[in-house]
Amino acid sequence: MNLADSLSSLLSAENRLTFGELVLCLDAGGSYSARHRNDEGRAVSDLADLDSVRALREMAKHDEAGEYRPLKTAPGLKSGWHTATDSPREFLQRLDAIYPGLFATWVAYDSGTFPPVPLRDTLGRQTGMYRFAGGITDGMAHRILAELCTPGCLRCITWPIDGTAPLPRVARGAGTLPLLCTEACTFAVSRARELAKEAYDLANPPAPAQG
Amino acid sequence: MSLSKPDAALLILGHGSTENPDSSQPCWDHAETIAATGQFGSVHCAFWKEEPSFRQVLPMIEEAEVYIVPNFISEGYFTRQVLPRELEISGHTTSRLGKTLHYCDPVGIHPAMTGLLTRRALEMIDESVKPEETSLIIVGHGTGLNQKSTEAIKVQVEAIAASGAPFAKVLDAYMEEAPFIADWQTLTDTPNVIVVPFFIADGLHSYQDIPVLLGIESEPTAAASQREVFRQNPHAFGDRTLWYSSAIGTDPSLAGVIVDQVAYFDEHYLA
Repeated sequence: MNLADSLSSLLSAENRLTFGELVLCLDAGGSYSARHRNDEGRAVSDLADLDSVRALREMAKHDEAGEYRPLKTAPGLKSGWHTATDSPREFLQRLDAIYPGLFATWVAYDSGTFPPVPLRDTLGRQTGMYRFAGGITDGMAHRILAELCTPGCLRCITWPIDGTAPLPRVARGAGTLPLLCTEACTFAVSRARELAKEAYDLANPPAPAQG
Repeated sequence: MSLSKPDAALLILGHGSTENPDSSQPCWDHAETIAATGQFGSVHCAFWKEEPSFRQVLPMIEEAEVYIVPNFISEGYFTRQVLPRELEISGHTTSRLGKTLHYCDPVGIHPAMTGLLTRRALEMIDESVKPEETSLIIVGHGTGLNQKSTEAIKVQVEAIAASGAPFAKVLDAYMEEAPFIADWQTLTDTPNVIVVPFFIADGLHSYQDIPVLLGIESEPTAAASQREVFRQNPHAFGDRTLWYSSAIGTDPSLAGVIVDQVAYFDEHYLA
């Protein structure tokens, strides 16, 4: 079964799925639709009709205040719109414009073909300006989770800090599609680099100037 | 060139940005253009600093054969180290996750870029401006850290000059190494000068930093899409006239160069 068929099959079985800040529906007429969860219950006629991948990608690019949203799973997706199509393939592409690759990530994770990558593996392979990132302590890793990931992203983390203690597998609850994080993103890697570099610089202060 | 690969996917790789909302737009635009032609079963993009990331994208692709084209301007740290590492590929063709992954050359080194740069420069000026009284500067970032980053530009400058393009002079210049773009008035001696940025997107460098170095802006401006009035050409500097182009990577023809890199792969690297 391809990805679009998997999505169609899930919606056929449940009619309504929550997916991050979205609610997805299979309408009575056989049309696949999505809108912001805050807009559930509002008449379609009250919502802007976004009928293309491009329009949805543009919508998801900025928050209500006009600030750029480089992390698509950060909370704060705009509301006030609606999208609908009869094509499962087109519907999946529209979802990918809002949450890029997140449905495919779920399917691959659920099938066991896309295992989570431990944080230390992600950080350990970095080079260039990110080569410091691998030097974080477990305490710093927990700080990244608490200060960056938890408040700043809606994804459910599936990766452990190291490979010795895998996290329990995430199961899909009825009526939901999980937004999964299978590997630390560029924001977490950047933060790890900052923390490791700060610690290094503290431990290795510049020599005092001569004279 | 037009291809027919309905059983293969095309994956375009870009840098992306966590700060500039315009950085990834050329990749998406070119992907949309290519997808509309139906040459590939599907067309995808992935980014270093945006989503989907290089690490996330492969499960999205259902075709068993994937052509991967870096939408990067030169060969170097990213195309040689970061992209292969993140995609877990090596050499020209890799089998991974049940797929055959073909790693093509970056768009910026394709021979078609020469014609694209020439055409872009000639489109900037109208019939009243004589190309033989005009210098063309191809401007890049430049860094002492990686010689490859300037090599692609030097190759293009030589190729444009050798192609019989009608300009008085074709030269390269850089933001952070000599010859410096800030010295454009002394690097050239023609009444007219056209500057084309050899960048993938209109981002911090091509739209904000270089205009300041050229003297047409006094301070970095907002991102391209946030500006209400786009830059007006030409710009007068005494008896000199300057035309400044948007980044070459934003040219719609670049979609064709991406496809050309797939064809080049088949001709030169396909086992």
